[in-house]
Amino acid sequence: MSILEKYLAGLTFRSNTPRFDAGDELELFVTGRADGAHVVRVGDSTLRLDGAPADALDTKVRLRVTGFDTDDHVGEADYLETVGESAF
Amino acid sequence: MSTDQTDGFDGGVSAGDDSEPEIDFYGGKLASAFPLVFFVVWAIVQSGVLRVSDTTGLVAGMLVALIFGMFLVKGSWAGYANTIFAGMTQRVAATAIVAWLWAGMFAETIQTGQFVSGLVWAAEAAGIGGAVFPAATFILAGLLATGIGSGYGTTVAFTALFFPAGVALGANPALLFGAILSGVVFGDNLAPVSDTTIVSAVTQDADIGGVVASRFKYAGVAAVLSFAAYLGAGAVMDGISVAGDASAILGSNVGPTGLLHLLSMATVIGTAIAGRHIVEAISWGIVVAFVLNVVFGLADVSEMLVFRASDSLWIARELSVLPFVEAINTSPEGVTSSVGGSLYAGAQGFFPLIVLVLLIVAGAQIMIRGGGFRAIQDFLLESVATTVRRAELTMVLGTAFVNSMITINTAAEIAIAPYIARLGERFNINSYRRANILDANTSALGYIFPWSGGVLVGYAALADLPTKYDWFTRGMVVDPTEVVPFVFHGWLLVGVFVFSALTGFGLEYISDRESEEVARA
Repeated sequence: MSILEKYLAGLTFRSNTPRFDAGDELELFVTGRADGAHVVRVGDSTLRLDGAPADALDTKVRLRVTGFDTDDHVGEADYLETVGESAF
Repeated sequence: MSTDQTDGFDGGVSAGDDSEPEIDFYGGKLASAFPLVFFVVWAIVQSGVLRVSDTTGLVAGMLVALIFGMFLVKGSWAGYANTIFAGMTQRVAATAIVAWLWAGMFAETIQTGQFVSGLVWAAEAAGIGGAVFPAATFILAGLLATGIGSGYGTTVAFTALFFPAGVALGANPALLFGAILSGVVFGDNLAPVSDTTIVSAVTQDADIGGVVASRFKYAGVAAVLSFAAYLGAGAVMDGISVAGDASAILGSNVGPTGLLHLLSMATVIGTAIAGRHIVEAISWGIVVAFVLNVVFGLADVSEMLVFRASDSLWIARELSVLPFVEAINTSPEGVTSSVGGSLYAGAQGFFPLIVLVLLIVAGAQIMIRGGGFRAIQDFLLESVATTVRRAELTMVLGTAFVNSMITINTAAEIAIAPYIARLGERFNINSYRRANILDANTSALGYIFPWSGGVLVGYAALADLPTKYDWFTRGMVVDPTEVVPFVFHGWLLVGVFVFSALTGFGLEYISDRESEEVARA
């Protein structure tokens, strides 16, 4: 990222329900669980995460999006690996 | 799909490290918050009620809090004691400490190199009148605060020099004091060498250069509006007719050479934003400042580093030919051998804050292991921060509230930082955004209210002015309550973030942009 891009990044009004596409590979925090599976919440959109280890809450994981409903802002993703943890 | 944001697993809030000991408190999980709550009350009484701005006093408060907290622990106290060690050795504290030490050396070195004198020259050369003086003061105070990162240092320098000069020119005193504080808020918020900038970045796992670049959009909006407001208010608010001479106050022995340190500032800001490690960036800034001082005669080597040894030592007398060794007569009472200079004083100035941050982080770790942190976090996530907009608003208002209570703003920032991190992570809000929310409200609220540390420091300097100038009367001293509405940049910065939280302006998710690697913090 160039220095100019660093200054201009985020200079928008960002949606509270971001969208994802199947095949996207992302690094995100695991934020909770629902219906027996981990959940990754990004803003007010949620991804159900399959295959994550039991102690994944509040860790940062790499995941691959497998599907996303742009109307309900919910989707599914596969756990790939753990890449970090919470700042505290 | 309904989700439970608060449904944690056995690992709890310490990210699942089951090897760490748990601590049971009499009174339940919330009792683990006792050390931090006691400290907050101490800080309010000391700095807010008694108006004592003494960081070492807060260190004493945190030590007493940790001792009292131990008496609330069920069973063995060993786990509690070990948690103090565990908290103090966290990377977040170490990173902030390293950055502070480097920032302190840099700030002191450009001040020694007559940077303030250069700003005074700029004000004189511009030949501005009383109506425009507050707006110009806002810009120049912002420049100094961005260079040295010290809000209190800038406040003292400007209230001692620019304030009486501006009053003599016919500027409104309350507006002028507000302009000084506004400039300080701007620099405290934006400077890569500011203690609050450093804390905001390292506690949110973000690199300092990236944080500085990402917060221009917020600071810029507030600064443009503030500048316009000072121009407008300066035109309609009358000053006081006095017999003072502004030129005599600002001094005839000033020159533009000190402005060369704009190059030192640009070196630090440029290299940090380019992605270099903050230690590397500030080190280059120190090298540039040192060279400029020596080459252009802005400061002697001995003003930046000096060993003052007893002249009774032959080796001291021999080495005194070197520019950084002085052989001094230590026989008079009170004269001792010492090390001095800007590099020494700059680092030393942060020692009380360093000890304080270690103890606060230890208190936070006790709250985490005792379950209090989790209990409050769950309450916020269940009842308050239920959507990303509400979560951001909670972060903005929570930071503002804590900073309005704990008036030494760096201490307040450290105390609230874990909640900003956790709330933001639970919505995957980008670390730059979290750091910006944390620092903007910390910087702003530290210089607005009558009990704020920054306002009190400025008031103390103002109260001293009648002893320095015959024409400056007690009636010209601005009471801390009078300045509250005139800290335009502080109010506007908080307003910008409330607006941002409500509308999503500037919001970035972790999936939008990763911060640079943590090692670059």
